[in-house]
Amino acid sequence: MPTLFGVTLIIFFMVRVLPGDPARVLAGLEADQTEVDRIRVQLGLDKPVPVQYALFVANAVRGNLGRSAVTQAPVVSEIAGRLGPTTLLAATATVLAGTLGIASGILVSTRQYTATDYAVTVLALAGVSIPVYWLGLMLMLVFAVALHLLPAGGDTSPQSLILPSITLAAFSLAIIERMTRSSMLESMRQDYVRTARAKGLADPIVVYRHALRNALIPVVTVLGLQFGALIGGAILTETTFAWPGIGRLLVDAIARRDYPIIQGVVLLFAVTFVLVNLIVDLLYGYIDPRIRFG
Amino acid sequence: MMRTGFCRTAALVVACAVALTLGIPNGGRAAAPASLHVAIGIDADSLDPEGQTTTTVANMVDYMFDSLLWPNDERSGVKPGEPQYTKLVPQLATSWMVSRDGLTYTFKLRQGVKFQDGTDFNAEAVKFNVLRWLDTSVRNPNRYYFTDIDTSRIDTPDPYTVALHLKQPSPTLLGRIASGVGEILSPAAVRKIGNDKIPLGPLSAGTGPYMFKEWVHGDHITLVRNPNYWGRKPYFDEVVFRVVPNAGTRETMLRAGDVQMAFEPPAPDVPALRRDASLRVVEGPSDRDVFIGLNNQFGPLKDARVRQALNYAINKQAIIHSVLFGLATVLESPTTPFLFGYTKVQSGGWPFNPVKAKAMLAEAGFPSGFSINFRTPTGRYIQDYQFAQAVAAQLANVGVKAQIQTTDWPSYVSWLVTPLERTPMQIFVLGWATQYLDADGELYGQFYSGQAPPKGLAPTFYKDAKVDELLLAGQTTSDPKKREAIYKEAQQLIWNDAPWIFLWSQNFYMVTSSHLDGVTTTPNEKWAAIYATWK
Repeated sequence: MPTLFGVTLIIFFMVRVLPGDPARVLAGLEADQTEVDRIRVQLGLDKPVPVQYALFVANAVRGNLGRSAVTQAPVVSEIAGRLGPTTLLAATATVLAGTLGIASGILVSTRQYTATDYAVTVLALAGVSIPVYWLGLMLMLVFAVALHLLPAGGDTSPQSLILPSITLAAFSLAIIERMTRSSMLESMRQDYVRTARAKGLADPIVVYRHALRNALIPVVTVLGLQFGALIGGAILTETTFAWPGIGRLLVDAIARRDYPIIQGVVLLFAVTFVLVNLIVDLLYGYIDPRIRFG
Repeated sequence: MMRTGFCRTAALVVACAVALTLGIPNGGRAAAPASLHVAIGIDADSLDPEGQTTTTVANMVDYMFDSLLWPNDERSGVKPGEPQYTKLVPQLATSWMVSRDGLTYTFKLRQGVKFQDGTDFNAEAVKFNVLRWLDTSVRNPNRYYFTDIDTSRIDTPDPYTVALHLKQPSPTLLGRIASGVGEILSPAAVRKIGNDKIPLGPLSAGTGPYMFKEWVHGDHITLVRNPNYWGRKPYFDEVVFRVVPNAGTRETMLRAGDVQMAFEPPAPDVPALRRDASLRVVEGPSDRDVFIGLNNQFGPLKDARVRQALNYAINKQAIIHSVLFGLATVLESPTTPFLFGYTKVQSGGWPFNPVKAKAMLAEAGFPSGFSINFRTPTGRYIQDYQFAQAVAAQLANVGVKAQIQTTDWPSYVSWLVTPLERTPMQIFVLGWATQYLDADGELYGQFYSGQAPPKGLAPTFYKDAKVDELLLAGQTTSDPKKREAIYKEAQQLIWNDAPWIFLWSQNFYMVTSSHLDGVTTTPNEKWAAIYATWK
């Protein structure tokens, strides 16, 4: 709660410190000053900033985040409309990054210094280094323009999800693969793994039950932290693929100085981030019974 | 064991991916003649005709509504390639009459027209709309278009006649009514939907060839053909405007066949697009002046000789060719040829003559030039940041060292509106256009001294008593001949005084599939594709 309060306070004042008058941006260059002033009053921007903040908080606790300065639609409904596409994209990307990242991490950790290991390392390096918008455009060129297999952009069919989620997952996937690999290598060297092998357990049991479980703690931490990166990546991915999500809503809102939308989206991001970290903390206890909360 | 296990999982993942991929009915290539998909660059802010501030959005709104009158274009049967926007022609009004004193405008209305909600279009509806233009509870950034109308005296002598009385003559009123902001809404629909919700979805509110169907914010706006349209019916059942902010993605979607028409792909790609036989670049000049504004009250720029020298220093044609890929036309006057009152002042624009520029700077007391800051937006006008660099390099050739600075649009606007005492502007990139095609719309906002910030948006702080007098006279003189003479004189004065570095008017361009026929662009930066066909 204090975190969220702090976030609203910071974002509220930060957007207002940014140069740029929302009323003028809305009205356009050719509009006359009378109309610009009228819009400013309509948006409540003629009131002192502390008063604006008090009104914002008073409404926000009642679930009313105000109206978009641009479309005049309620912020809550603007966000709700974008939540589905972003959740779908982020969830798919997380699942992709998590499963493929952990799977390939395990794969190469059992084959250290082989050709597979090197190949995956190069791919991971590429995944971390290639900017999202470039990777996105390249995938579009191959799968949409050259092969005509997938739509290039937009959210028109289930297939539309494939390219953006791969693009969005690439960075996290690579990070998780590297993390799993080193963490696995670390735990494979532990005494209990040697003991498990010595008592004649089959290889998969050693790897999955003994080594992996212990290796997962740092991976899960990273997975949680990657969520932040996913939000950042979603902004670029959504713009590249014309995906109608929250990231683009935020970018558009900043470009038009739509304060209520900016406040609403940042608040949502903060809430989500807090929740995800809570889930990660709870997962620790599940993965490693030694970690108890009390 | 472990190895095969992993391989099995991997194989499954790959198989799923392939199945998903191959499962699609070749979505891209198949042309869908029933529905036209257009990739546009920004999402709408408001679908209320009155709320319009950007031509892209106004362009979509035009599909749903009619005005009393409209510039001659595809809607009155002008074919691509033929001159358009040369005059105002009837739309919902069949004829109109302006009284000799310029104070009374009488419109005869088209009979038998129904709004999309089934109600009648008549004089009462027009009266309702005129009152709505001036109703301050409705957001209308261009309300000043109509403030000369006396709202207490709107006469409706019969159901198909409306007379507007003005408080003072307003020779641009007809152009303003035909600018799109004056499109007519169904009073019944407005009452049903509410003024606050019209911007979000003007369902059945217009009389236009298409009707609003849905707006999924950030994704698309869908319009369907109006089966009861009173005029010529369009070819496509449905038009879907897809919001695609990234210019490269718009181009890719067009090439992939996801859309059949795309708004302004990246300018550097235009030469390749022009060569591609499967595509067609539809382009045309617009009324948008793009210029380097000079702060006429700042240091060396106070001297007209310096400002003229800067005009001589820039090779506009070369920059258009190499930086704008031909997407502009050199200015030969402070206005553009589509506007009423246009005069060509100097053929080919200010000539490129760096030797003369240097000599003039020396004469003005700056033999070794001077340093100055140079501000530009990025991505607002075609290749703005890029051409600013070319301009700075050419200024450096004559000894003027311009330091370029850029920022995002809202911050840039806050620079533009800063009053003289605090303005950071010395020289800067700006574009200016008008929605009603009259020299007044282009000149008044930039050269009337009363429009200097903070009151208006003319950050050159240009002040010339004669020009002020002419621009005011142009707004109240009814006689077109006299107005033409007024604007001719004003344009010559402004041109020679050089408050700007006059650059070019930028082209407006779209790229379409080569199968899409009958698309053209209009001088006010809109595409005309309502009557496009597929072949």
